[in-house]
Amino acid sequence: MLKLSKEAMLGLVLIALFLLMSIIAPGFLDSYNLSNMMFQLPELGILALGMMVVILTAGIDLSITYTASFSGVIAALCMSHHYPIAVAIGIGIAVALLCGLLNGFFIAIIGVSPILVTLGSMVLFEGVILTITKGNAISGFPDAFGQIGNMSIGPIPLPVIVFLVLAVITATLLNRTIWGRSVYKVGINPVAARFSGLHVKRVLLGVYLFSAFMASIAAIIMISRYNSAKVDLGSSYLLLTVSAAVLGGTEISGGYGKVKGTVYAVAIFQVLSNGLNLLGIPRTVVDILMGVILIAVLTLNYVSAKMSARKSLKVSAG
Amino acid sequence: MKSVFKSKEIGILSVLLFLCIILSVNNPVFLTADNIQDIFKANAILAILAMGMTLVIITGGIDVSVAAITSAATVITGHLMKVLPDSPLSVAAAFAIAILSGLLLGLINGTLIAKTKIPPIVATLGTMSIINGSVLYFTNGVYLNSSNFPKAFIRFADFKIAGISILIYLIALVTLITWYVMKYTMIGRSVFAIGGNPVSAVRAGIHLERTQLFVYGYMGFLAGIAALAQMVYTKSVDPNGMLGFELTVISAVVIGGANILGGNGSVWGTLIGVVLLGVMQNGLILSHVDTYWQKVIVGAVILTAVSYDFLRRKRMESKLLKVEVEA
Repeated sequence: MLKLSKEAMLGLVLIALFLLMSIIAPGFLDSYNLSNMMFQLPELGILALGMMVVILTAGIDLSITYTASFSGVIAALCMSHHYPIAVAIGIGIAVALLCGLLNGFFIAIIGVSPILVTLGSMVLFEGVILTITKGNAISGFPDAFGQIGNMSIGPIPLPVIVFLVLAVITATLLNRTIWGRSVYKVGINPVAARFSGLHVKRVLLGVYLFSAFMASIAAIIMISRYNSAKVDLGSSYLLLTVSAAVLGGTEISGGYGKVKGTVYAVAIFQVLSNGLNLLGIPRTVVDILMGVILIAVLTLNYVSAKMSARKSLKVSAG
Repeated sequence: MKSVFKSKEIGILSVLLFLCIILSVNNPVFLTADNIQDIFKANAILAILAMGMTLVIITGGIDVSVAAITSAATVITGHLMKVLPDSPLSVAAAFAIAILSGLLLGLINGTLIAKTKIPPIVATLGTMSIINGSVLYFTNGVYLNSSNFPKAFIRFADFKIAGISILIYLIALVTLITWYVMKYTMIGRSVFAIGGNPVSAVRAGIHLERTQLFVYGYMGFLAGIAALAQMVYTKSVDPNGMLGFELTVISAVVIGGANILGGNGSVWGTLIGVVLLGVMQNGLILSHVDTYWQKVIVGAVILTAVSYDFLRRKRMESKLLKVEVEA
């Protein structure tokens, strides 16, 4: 039997889904629909990449969407006060990095478990954003800023290019740098990593700064596309980012996961929700299907792992 | 007596007492019996769910689908109550339906986690999305109000024993049952054993799968009871009403001192955590703090509580190590 990696399987699933949708969903292959899908994909994609890197260290970042929202709101405020676009974006990214630093401080330096810290910081950031915005949307950006989320270079939207560049950077960071390799080692066994001379604290701090940075980039694309910033900016993406990372083959207990897998998983979500939408299936059913897919994939993983374990047992017995 | 002061709940309890003193000095309304009863009534659902979540977290798991299960149970029970006649038996039927639907959904989680070995956070994330989607699909987000319930249920909801709302008895009952299960039953002790060290627990003959199934089943069972409490408290069914509530439940348990990595936690700690969250919210309202600031304060309290708890535990461990060296 042909042996395929988890990621290659996902790639095949993606191609199969794409073909299926182009046959059964009316208007799926229209250039308008295709570009629509491409404009929507990067937001979840960029957030999912940030979440994936955190999950690689056996952590989780529940505050990722509110970090995004915080940095988006601040950037939006700067722009509505007529700051230059580049300065506003810079301030937005800086705010996100501060959020990441806060998470990283509690998780890496103090050593509190990630789920608790980010749960707390999630509520905290939401509160701070609410206090700043009083729940209102902030709009009134310069026209040039709208270009970031809505411009295409040739047939390819700018956000997709940003997403692909970030994906390549993430993959390079994870595979070719000492920090990236340490991320995997910390995920597998933090104690062993420390005894092998890795700066576990520094690695973890880097991970949360990285997810915050990704959150801020996603935020800039989102506020540019919607032309406004609000407290719930992207908050519906929170659990989807975890699902995308896990569906993409990342181990929730850390140590394994590839950028390729996450990108495929995000694309699968996009093709599925768009295709089902075109077929007139309500949004709620799409949510149900996402849950079913998540559980089905993990059950399949379990069954196949069990089967291969049995096979190897037999081989060693024989 | 000494052991009381050394117990791990004392830290959080002193924070709670300190907060209460400040609030009662600030605002005479705070310490009235009515206000205190209101705090408990408003947090009955939180308290009931947090008891189940304590068990889940002690095994080292997590259940993010609790809010979804609770709303599913309210929706199922609410829609069945529309057709039930006006008799006390209908109230009993409502109890049975809510608890059964909660239990069933909880057991589905338990099966996924125990039998197919899906990590708890992922499994419950999946079921959460399935349950929330189904609830919205079947109800279209439509709200049921008290005119849809049998009169007997409304009478039950307003029922008071010795001037105290039925909700408070419900909290007490659930807390006592959970406490008893944790302290005196085989399965309750297995929960601690598995959370402490799953490998040695299994080697000591504890049934891992059965314990996990029990924990998530019990969580579902309590979600059914919480669904009833929700209907008693609001006299309505709102399919969207519980969205995001799972995180409040988890924070209450964690503030109460349960270790998210498993092995540690107590019913009383959780109860204090729930009351602390409730008092904080109540106090912020009574002292007219801007609603926008309330979240900031709650977030800051969660962060402080968990890091304080962590640092204290670390210090205790290092003290333990020292003793061993000396001996």
